[in-house]
Amino acid sequence: MILFFGIIVLMCFLDKSLSSPTGFAEAKELLASPFVKFVVWGLVSALLYHLIAGIPHLITDAGIGGSLETAKLTAKVVFVLSAIVILVLGVWIW
Amino acid sequence: MVTSVTNFSRSGLYDWMAQRVSAVVLAAYTLFLLGYVMANPGMDYDQWQGLFTQPWMRIFSLMTLVALGAHSWIGMWTITTDYLTPMAFGKHAGAVRFLAQCFCGVLMFVLFVWGIQILWGN
Repeated sequence: MILFFGIIVLMCFLDKSLSSPTGFAEAKELLASPFVKFVVWGLVSALLYHLIAGIPHLITDAGIGGSLETAKLTAKVVFVLSAIVILVLGVWIW
Repeated sequence: MVTSVTNFSRSGLYDWMAQRVSAVVLAAYTLFLLGYVMANPGMDYDQWQGLFTQPWMRIFSLMTLVALGAHSWIGMWTITTDYLTPMAFGKHAGAVRFLAQCFCGVLMFVLFVWGIQILWGN
């Protein structure tokens, strides 16, 4: 649900940044504020976590894995990998 | 109320397939856009706007908008049929769920049209 509503915020930025050079500058200025950075970081983190968590589903659908043991392992891998990606994203944003 | 009447394709198997295919499109677009922005620090308006006027980028973006509609519909349908149930809302569950799904559907359509306007209107 956060993703569903968050996409509205991200599309606002896309709209503004593509509307005109002035809009682009305004979007850039907005993204410089710590609060906006934090919100965007949160939204993109949620999106990337959703993306990474979906990969094991695709692999399972392909007939690989599927046992409880692999599920427990991939859950941990997804968690750690997401944490790393989200941290890197945070560093890049700031 | 028969919950499957409001699902994406009236077939769970087709929904499952649509969810996976749209997921791959959405993932590719997300990673591409993030990678592009990361690879081009200090990008100016002309380069950014130029990217979105490329025919392949418009095709990719429109494909993503379609995938977004399908993927979010399946996702929101799953949430609404899981949580807006007779157990939680009694005999009004059908109406509550239907209204919530209407809201989702309208919002998705608005996002879709707005997305096209962003791509072609500017």
